Amino acid sequence: MVLRAKDRWPYLFTAGLILIIILIPFHWFLGVKISLFTLVGISTMITLGLCLLMGYTGQVSLGQAAFYGIGAYVSAILSATYDVNPWLAMAIAATITGAFAYFIGYPIFRLRGNYLAMATLGLGIIIWILFKELDQYTGGPDGIGGIPNLSIGGFSFDTSMKRYYLVWFFCLAILLASQNIVGSRVGRALRAIHGGEAAAQATGINTAQFKVKIFVLSAVYASLAGSLYAHVVRQVSPGSFDFLESVVIVTMAVIGGLASIWGAIFGASTILILKNELLVGLGEIETILYGLILVLVMIFMPKGLFVSLKELYEAWRLRYARRGDKP
Amino acid sequence: MTNCILEVKDVSRAFGGVVALNRVGMSIETGKITAIIGPNGAGKTTLFNLVAGVYPVSSGEIRFRGTPLDNIPVHKRTTIGIARTFQNVLLFENMTVLENAMTGQHARSRYGFFEAALRLPKAHREEETISLKAMKYLNLVGLGMYAQQNALDLPLGQQKLLTIARALATEPQLLMLDEPGAGLNTLEKRDLADLVRRIRDMGITILLVEHDMDLVMGLAEWVIVLDSGQKIAEGTAAEIQRNQRVIAAYLGEEEEVE
Repeated sequence: MVLRAKDRWPYLFTAGLILIIILIPFHWFLGVKISLFTLVGISTMITLGLCLLMGYTGQVSLGQAAFYGIGAYVSAILSATYDVNPWLAMAIAATITGAFAYFIGYPIFRLRGNYLAMATLGLGIIIWILFKELDQYTGGPDGIGGIPNLSIGGFSFDTSMKRYYLVWFFCLAILLASQNIVGSRVGRALRAIHGGEAAAQATGINTAQFKVKIFVLSAVYASLAGSLYAHVVRQVSPGSFDFLESVVIVTMAVIGGLASIWGAIFGASTILILKNELLVGLGEIETILYGLILVLVMIFMPKGLFVSLKELYEAWRLRYARRGDKP
Repeated sequence: MTNCILEVKDVSRAFGGVVALNRVGMSIETGKITAIIGPNGAGKTTLFNLVAGVYPVSSGEIRFRGTPLDNIPVHKRTTIGIARTFQNVLLFENMTVLENAMTGQHARSRYGFFEAALRLPKAHREEETISLKAMKYLNLVGLGMYAQQNALDLPLGQQKLLTIARALATEPQLLMLDEPGAGLNTLEKRDLADLVRRIRDMGITILLVEHDMDLVMGLAEWVIVLDSGQKIAEGTAAEIQRNQRVIAAYLGEEEEVE
């Protein structure tokens, strides 16, 4: 069966993207920037959680950096200080973060809109202060160093290329899982909550429970990303998990298109390339820029840069199709 | 009575100082089309919301198939067989027509995050049933051919039909329609009446709130009249049309001139 052009497009796009992801570490391509693109993979994981929570379910969270940080710190403390197996540490971190999100989820989702945003913002700041102040465990402002590499059997992820592929393996697995969720009964329930809670409840959806569940899932995504971060960078400090980081994650999700799974990669890479390549050494102005980007994208491209570009492309194709010739 | 699907006993509901419903009682017979009518502010929608569980009763009791409904949250009421549509439509705007109907099947399917994320066979099997049933109800209301369209692209009349399909997809025993005829033209109203009768013939009890008297009188097998939060009459359509209290409630009372 020959696919029509419009049906073929997503497959080609996905294949091309995966090819690029595989080729990036090679020297003749973007090998020099491998640590940047490893970070893109990690950020994409957190952004994906926020897309599910914010884009699909319509619940704001300005505290995702807290879960990211908890994952990183629990992994760091267990594996560096207590010599726990890094994989076990990662699983424990995800469990702790998930349980934490579950317990604060029920009270916090009694709030809506701006109040919910404020509560999650407060949560993020409290957790960040704990990272700084519980210095007997977290090392205070200096953080924790000497975090071991991840390894499977005798195979250690000890080079940047190995770590890069490890991170992207996790990232693509989470991406696939998220895409499956979005197209399922669960995804419809989440979108129904976004569409209108009264109607969602009337179709039998336990809205309170689903909101907490997706919050937990987004927290677990962020925690896994945090654990990977700890083992990739092998050093954690509070600065990586502050309020600004939460804002950066929101910006990534917005640029990628809140309700777009593949957009997360686009959002994460755009922001990180801007931050690390094009806008180096701006200091405080960086924060203003994120704010500006957020506002501009929300005003002019509420569906996100990624989705808007995609729609432009489709509109362009359609125009040619109407004229009756091939583009 | 055993053949009553819904019993409302002595139910009151106040919002602050305003008494929206004052000691209302009624029995809704299984398998019939019952209409609740009354002037604006009579308490019709309040009654609907009490049955659906949007807010609790101030006093009194509502029983569905013999079980008291108090403390059962909205989504569980859907599971036990109460479905509703809304006066202001409330479709899921971010979904296609088919997905809207599929969402109605939520309460009749079980698979969760885990099965969904890994696309396990259970998810596949259930998803197939869900879309088959959703299509069945879309076809029933005549929207089958629009399945892949965005729900918001439908004209109002069809949007209202879609909310009925979505409610039917929850496989209810009692279907509550909140002003299904509002905003429809004469032709659409006639089709709506046909559809409601067909749904009744499927064994689903219908309770509807409606302003359009022609629609109510031609459709309802039993009519209950509310006015200022109280039940003032009930009976067949013909009986209600002759009832002096009902006429007074709608047209105002004749005052005696001395």
